[in-house]
Amino acid sequence: MTTKSLHLRIGIATVLGAAFLTFYAIPTFVFSPSNVSNIVLAPTFWPYVLSGLTGIVGVGFLATSFFSDLSAQDHSDEPDIGPGLAPWLRLAALASIMALMMYGLPRLGMVWTSMIAFVACAFLFRTRHPYLALVCAVIVPLLLYAFFAHVAGVAVPQGNFVRLP
Amino acid sequence: MSLMDSLAAGLSLVGNVEAFFMLFCGLVIGVIGGAIPGLSATMAVALTLPFTFSMTPINGILLLLGVYKGGIFGGSIPAILIKTPGTPASSATILDGYPMAERGEAGRALGMALYASCTADAVSNLALILFAGWLASFALNFGPPEFFALILFSLTIIAGVSGESLLRGALSALAGLLLATVGLDLVYGTNRFTFGDPNMMGGLNFIAVLIGLFAIPEIIAMAWNPVAHLGKTRALGKSRVTLADYLSCFKSIIRGSMIGVFLGSIPGIGAAPSAFLSYSEARRTSKNKENFGKGEIEGVAASEAGNNGVAGATLIPLLALGVPGDVITAIIIGAFMVHGLQPGPMMFILNVDIIYGLFIGLIVSSVFLLIVGSVAIRGFKFVADVPKRLLMPAVLVLCVYGVFAVNNNIFDVGVMFAMGWVGYIMMRNRIPAAPFLIAFILGPLLEDNFRQSMLMSGSDPSILLRGPITWFFWVLTVITVVAITRSTLRRKVPLS
Amino acid sequence: MKLRTLGSVIALGVGVMAGAAMAEYPERPINMIIPYGAGGATDISARTIAEPLGEAVGQALVMANVTGAGGATGSVAVQNAAPDGYTMLFARVGSHSVNPAMKATLPYTLDDFRFVNVYEINPFACTVNVNSDIMSMDDLMAKANGEGLSFASSGVGSGPHLGAVMVLDAFGLEDANNTATHIPQQGGGAAITAVLNGTADLVCTNSSSLASFVANNQLRPLLVTTEEPVVGFDAPTVNELGQPGLNQLVGWTGIAGPAGLPDDVAAKWEEWMATATADEEFRSAMEARGSVIELMGPVEANEFIQGQYNVFRALVDNLGMRIEG
Repeated sequence: MTTKSLHLRIGIATVLGAAFLTFYAIPTFVFSPSNVSNIVLAPTFWPYVLSGLTGIVGVGFLATSFFSDLSAQDHSDEPDIGPGLAPWLRLAALASIMALMMYGLPRLGMVWTSMIAFVACAFLFRTRHPYLALVCAVIVPLLLYAFFAHVAGVAVPQGNFVRLP
Repeated sequence: MSLMDSLAAGLSLVGNVEAFFMLFCGLVIGVIGGAIPGLSATMAVALTLPFTFSMTPINGILLLLGVYKGGIFGGSIPAILIKTPGTPASSATILDGYPMAERGEAGRALGMALYASCTADAVSNLALILFAGWLASFALNFGPPEFFALILFSLTIIAGVSGESLLRGALSALAGLLLATVGLDLVYGTNRFTFGDPNMMGGLNFIAVLIGLFAIPEIIAMAWNPVAHLGKTRALGKSRVTLADYLSCFKSIIRGSMIGVFLGSIPGIGAAPSAFLSYSEARRTSKNKENFGKGEIEGVAASEAGNNGVAGATLIPLLALGVPGDVITAIIIGAFMVHGLQPGPMMFILNVDIIYGLFIGLIVSSVFLLIVGSVAIRGFKFVADVPKRLLMPAVLVLCVYGVFAVNNNIFDVGVMFAMGWVGYIMMRNRIPAAPFLIAFILGPLLEDNFRQSMLMSGSDPSILLRGPITWFFWVLTVITVVAITRSTLRRKVPLS
Repeated sequence: MKLRTLGSVIALGVGVMAGAAMAEYPERPINMIIPYGAGGATDISARTIAEPLGEAVGQALVMANVTGAGGATGSVAVQNAAPDGYTMLFARVGSHSVNPAMKATLPYTLDDFRFVNVYEINPFACTVNVNSDIMSMDDLMAKANGEGLSFASSGVGSGPHLGAVMVLDAFGLEDANNTATHIPQQGGGAAITAVLNGTADLVCTNSSSLASFVANNQLRPLLVTTEEPVVGFDAPTVNELGQPGLNQLVGWTGIAGPAGLPDDVAAKWEEWMATATADEEFRSAMEARGSVIELMGPVEANEFIQGQYNVFRALVDNLGMRIEG
């Protein structure tokens, strides 16, 4: 992708983002009391300044994509991974692993969730050492648990099922 | 009492094996604690605190100081090896340390981090001993308007870490500033972008954002292309730092130490901004500007000098004013009080033996750090040899444990994951992450100090220029902005 | 390994569910949540009592700092926890009487908790910079009514915020919340620093955080809110100044569980705390920092907190300080 098209894309996203903040998000999600003595002290002041600046930067992106000679520099540092859905599927799989971890942490406990996540990730990354991965998946979370719970005194979530000492 | 008497009194306190042993233990605990992301120097100090209750005051305090100093250095180890800063202060070290590790120069980067840390530590300790009183009274001149000017100037660092495009750096910084507005408003206490969730009311946890932004995108990138790293010579660092390396970075190290001393003596700034400021100064003055961010050893040296320079200097407001400069020194003050010591001006009169005992211990600590650090580097270097597709899941699990431990809150793990995807999208669009982080740290400080200034003056903006300190930083800011604009117009620094 | 794990998951899961009600409380470590950061007054108090308390309980106490939003984040964590006595909170004046009185949007009320005790009282003191020409409350009020006064606090809805307004209001400043300028800071340490460096004129907070600054002759105390004088503070009490109503303005630390905490668990805590607070080492460590150890049982603690809340709430409503957004 050329920098020109990259900037066009970022520019559009940034301008839309700034507009969204200014016209919807800040009025809706930032609460300002009615008795604010001065506008610069209002809780909304700083977010408005920031979204204004964001808008300006967005316009800057658009301007550079239209008016400068950026197409000359073609960055092709993205590794060629070939066509196909596989990378996108792997991203989706990783996202689901993370979502499931969030679901599992309070219920299964941190140790068991981490073990499952470790194995899932290792196989998602197609490791060349599957047996070693299994061993690590068991040992790493247990060691970390021993350290954090017993040396550092952290209340590591234990879940509803198997509690470790 | 003359200086010699004070020194002798101090020496009689620390002149035993036990005191030095405690200091040494502290450093070991600190380096290990700092090297575990999420555990961080702060928590290592908090965990050690209860053990000091039963010790003599000087031993206990030396133990804690050892943990503190060790922790700040220890944070650089995972920053270099797995792109996960062990403490927030070492996030600047990532910028060049991790690319060096990727190139197979982990040993060299770690070695430089250690030497820079020890040098800066020594400079910082000397500054504490020689100028404590003077720096402390100077720090008391820093009210909100002065802070505002200083932080505004610090934000110009963003230009230095934006990499290939200033515009993309600015976007990243603005995103960081916006994200930092989440939480309760300082002046009115109203909700900002909290969506009614009590977990968001305290703002997003800094360490969760930090780890999410740097470590998690690496893991996601691995899912995108699991074989990208093959063929690169990551495998280990037999490489070592040389004396020539050290000498060529010496100027940056000293400058970084000075920056650290200055920012450390002012309560409320902390080590991370200092590391970034030192980094950007080193980059600005370096001949190899283009290499910064791609694995330039001077970048590692400058960052580590910047954050360790703070470590001794934060004791200046602590000892001279009784004011904690950051969370860690707040905990250390607790240790003083447990032993019935009240840090402040009177301590230099009432407990001068303890003060000088501490000074002697601090000087020794720089040497001990060198020893403990070298051993630790040898111990941790194996991480660079672990197959990357096994290392990444381990990093993921480590980050989950670590981020949870910071605030005992599972919500923070979610923040880390979410920020990981933000960081990955930024990475794919070649938007640098460092400006985001700097803005996230400095943004709330900038806003708070601006509003506090306005409250002080009844909304009269002239307070922002109320004295020589503010003028100084405003002038610096203007000069820097002009310089950036000029070099952008001349296309030395690409805008886009 | 995997199969065995799975097997034990099922076996233990069933076992735990069946046995939970039967087993003698406590059969495993208790999570103690500290809603403020390490090194703060609550944290130090909690970690000091943890030692004798742990011995009395006979199980490990796992101390966990859950900070954010003036204590709200940690309080909510306990509010939402199972009321089985294994997640308890170190409640504090800020999180459980000032905050509920001031913040309409707070995600909890006092009814969401069951207080098992209050064990520590911290008198409040008001101090000014020793370099200022304010020598007494009269000077302070003259300045407040004249050129104007500013006070620092550790944030909106914190003890020092409400404390300063309450004192100024009691001494007759009209519309104290708006006449005096509130300059909030991030945290208690920063609030004191703000007075030291001249950002604000006044800070009212618990005497233990101020003690070392008073001893070092950096801050000048103007009053203390107890009936008896506080050691180390050369300042009149509010009773001597004719404002006994201000006796309500004290900091405290107590232990609370979620609302549905069973009676037998509360009874256990009463027993444990009696043992723990009798510990000599604990008492001397706390008293050295200016705290008063005063153990209140569940009923007394609830009355005390509710009473303080009502006083604060009335003040907040009078002065229009309630935060709605």
